[in-house]
Amino acid sequence: MNALKRYWWLILLAAIAVYPVIGKPSPYRSGLLIFAGIYIILAVGLDLLMGYTGQISVGHAAFFAVGAYTSGILTAKYGFSPAAAMGVGVVFSATLAFLTGRPVLALKEYYLAMATLAFNEIVVTLIIGFEGLTGGASGLRDIPPFTIFGFSLLNHLHYYYFVWTVVVLVIASSIAVVRSPFGRALIAIHSDEQAARSFGVDCAKYKTRAYMLAAVYASIAGSLFAHYMGFIAPDDFGILTSINLLVMLFLGGIGTIFGPALGALFLKLLPEITYQFQDYELLINGIILIVVLVFFPRGLFGIFTALRNKIVPRMGK
Amino acid sequence: MSDISHLVQFLFSGITVGSVYALIAVSLVIVYKVSQLICFAQGEFFVFGALTMTTLVSKGVPVPLAFFLSIIIAMALGALIQQVLIRPMKNTSVGALIVMTIAISLALRGLALLIWGRESHVLPPFSRGEPIQVLGAALQLQILWIVGITTVVLFLIWFFFEKTPAGIAMRACAENPYGASLMGINTQKTTLVAWAWGSGIGALAGMAVAPMLFTQYTSGIMPMVKGFIAMSIGGLGSIVGSVIAGLLLGLVESYTIGLISSKFSDTIVFALLMAVLVFRPNGLFSRS
Amino acid sequence: MMEKNGHILTISGVTKTFDGVRALDDVSFSVRSGDIKALIGPNGAGKTTLLNAVSGLNPPTKGSVLFEGRDVVGLRTDQIASLGMSRTFQLIRLFTINNATVLDNVLLGAHMHLRPTLLETVFLRGRIKRQEREATAKAMDLLKLVGIEKEAHALPGELSFGSQRLLELARALMTGPRMLLLDEPASGLNDAEVEEFTRLLMTIKQQGITILIVEHNMKLVMNIADDIIVLDFGRKLAEGPPSAICANPDVIEAYLGAQSKECGVTQ
Ligand SMILES: Nc1ncnc2c1ncn2[C@@H]1O[C@H](COP(=O)(O)OP(=O)(O)OP(=O)(O)O)[C@@H](O)[C@H]1O
Ligand SMILES: [Mg+2]
Repeated sequence: MNALKRYWWLILLAAIAVYPVIGKPSPYRSGLLIFAGIYIILAVGLDLLMGYTGQISVGHAAFFAVGAYTSGILTAKYGFSPAAAMGVGVVFSATLAFLTGRPVLALKEYYLAMATLAFNEIVVTLIIGFEGLTGGASGLRDIPPFTIFGFSLLNHLHYYYFVWTVVVLVIASSIAVVRSPFGRALIAIHSDEQAARSFGVDCAKYKTRAYMLAAVYASIAGSLFAHYMGFIAPDDFGILTSINLLVMLFLGGIGTIFGPALGALFLKLLPEITYQFQDYELLINGIILIVVLVFFPRGLFGIFTALRNKIVPRMGK
Repeated sequence: MSDISHLVQFLFSGITVGSVYALIAVSLVIVYKVSQLICFAQGEFFVFGALTMTTLVSKGVPVPLAFFLSIIIAMALGALIQQVLIRPMKNTSVGALIVMTIAISLALRGLALLIWGRESHVLPPFSRGEPIQVLGAALQLQILWIVGITTVVLFLIWFFFEKTPAGIAMRACAENPYGASLMGINTQKTTLVAWAWGSGIGALAGMAVAPMLFTQYTSGIMPMVKGFIAMSIGGLGSIVGSVIAGLLLGLVESYTIGLISSKFSDTIVFALLMAVLVFRPNGLFSRS
Repeated sequence: MMEKNGHILTISGVTKTFDGVRALDDVSFSVRSGDIKALIGPNGAGKTTLLNAVSGLNPPTKGSVLFEGRDVVGLRTDQIASLGMSRTFQLIRLFTINNATVLDNVLLGAHMHLRPTLLETVFLRGRIKRQEREATAKAMDLLKLVGIEKEAHALPGELSFGSQRLLELARALMTGPRMLLLDEPASGLNDAEVEEFTRLLMTIKQQGITILIVEHNMKLVMNIADDIIVLDFGRKLAEGPPSAICANPDVIEAYLGAQSKECGVTQ
């Protein structure tokens, strides 16, 4: 039983792997799961920044945009291979995060929220403005599908496996980060920046590193998104997307890695249920979130762990 | 039109938009001052104000009555939200509070969608009449209303905070909630009043421009974002600062759109915001 | 690196003003290497302000702070900490977010020696794990030293007040400091705990760690201090060996008052 408690994620992994075989999902269904996977990557990255380092961001979609447009432009217009374009996007996003991280992350709370929101809008308005390069408000088309080793991932199921492999890698590396001395420094910054400093933590540097990592994940998610869609438009990357990510974090349970992943999954699959309520959808989403925030401050993952602990009670130590 | 008339026309539109930004910024500041909370749902009051009034007027309710009813409904809604949803969230992180107000805004937007549908609504102008010609530019009468309402509201706020015991109590609350409660000021009541005020002013902004806009359930998002910007540029807690910043923002926007291009006007506005936050985090008009 | 009786810390002309109010006014003194020096004075005298000025948390307006011969004014707090100076806080400041445990708190003390980078964290897991094992062993030793090893996996908030203070001390020791700044580490402890704590400080001293301690408990101070400095209204009122301080009429008048009888208990 204890093994179940420790290795429950293996079951999860198996479920991800066999779902397409057993569930035989339609392209639409696997598409939903691909989107969910992409948003999990975004949400987990943001969780490192917000849930662990304690730095709020209302503009995380900016890096999603940078990844998507770098991939889109380089592959559709300059003939780059998707993998190479994704790499360029990652470097570009990391550099951007490095350059903006210090001044922006020196701000706190609402000031930080505003600055990140502004950053998001600057990126989006620049994309809209430089029409020649980006397609402007009407979007960028003809982005080729992803290829690895000359093998094109045109098939939905192939892409499903590809995206979810990245998801698993992102989650695994995030857990490695938060359960390490590096993660401990982030948590110290979140708890009490001055005290962290008193123990030798260079807060500005570590905040910027966390920001860069989150940006890299977001950029990868953006590339995956662009190649899946074949068409991207600025609307996909605005502050509403950033706000949606925040919602995923708190809905799932911030500061737990798995929580935001669960939140992203839930929020991306929820429309499957609520779409039948049509005009009620927005109201229902709002109410669900309010209920979770008021009654389950540790989010869906908190509910999940509470249940798990009930079913599999603590056995010794 | 001559060059001058263009410039004047941009001035009019700048002031119109700027007034709306200023009102929303003020509504945010009032809530922020007493709750240390920036309410992302403020844009929904803008929508509720505009659409409630539109409905009432279309049902034949006289304009002045519709006007006051809409404000009162918005104020009650704001107070209710504070009481039921925000008050229990006292000891949570800024992030959780932001998301709570986002949740509220989703729910309100959803409610607006149910009540008013997806279509846009236009309110008839408050008074009929031809636009006045000023230096070759057309000044719509509604603009006079907007400016007039903004002026009156700002005067009332000033009067309230400077001259009335309740307002002075509210300021004390904002500066030092603990101290204020020691002095026997009912902080909870004060907070409630501030939320009512904030929601009412947000609604007022929506109502004032409703005759010039096509308002629908999503119309609150952009004014809210611009209100935030004005508030941040003005210094988070400063009413005067955010009014000036709101007007400035409206003018900058109007002239960049008119004279340079509409393409990068938002880039400029947001870059300005970032610059202010990074270099003058206490607002553009703060000392030191 | 200091020879015996050299000065590990020399403070000269340190002044700190808050909005024109002088919390520290031209304070100068030094701490001999290996000593325990006590900093005493009435509430609001500027003791915490002084520790903050030394540790860089709130740098002085004027003056210099030499640590092992190097002026640290203008360095960042984390740089000063990395030079080998650690501290505890008057109001306990432990790391509590994300269920950080007692052990995690101590382990953070190893940060300045590990300086983990992102790349090695993700790609060199083996190395990180080995470092972590070593650090954990050392952290457990320190928890044992302060006597709270049984609570290693508890949350800091679950500890008694006294244990939280001990945890702060263990965390500071984890940095392997040559000098410790302690801000009222015994406040809130009961008599038995104070006695235990006194022994602990002597052990730390024997390891060659210099201590600058702010403390109101005069019995404790008289038992451990080699040297005392008294602050009053931000100014240095007196400095000298415990016996001289006890006999100093200015100090009795400004601070000791009723507590002056505690002065008799030296060893
Ligand atoms: N951040 C600050 N801003 C303004 N004034 C401050 C600040 N920190 C301390 N002071 C003032 O400086 C003076 C010295 O304070 P400090 O905390 O150093 O006293 P202390 O000797 O540590 O007292 P206690 O024994 O109560 O801890 C006090 O008058 C205090 O009000
Ligand atoms: Mg003190």
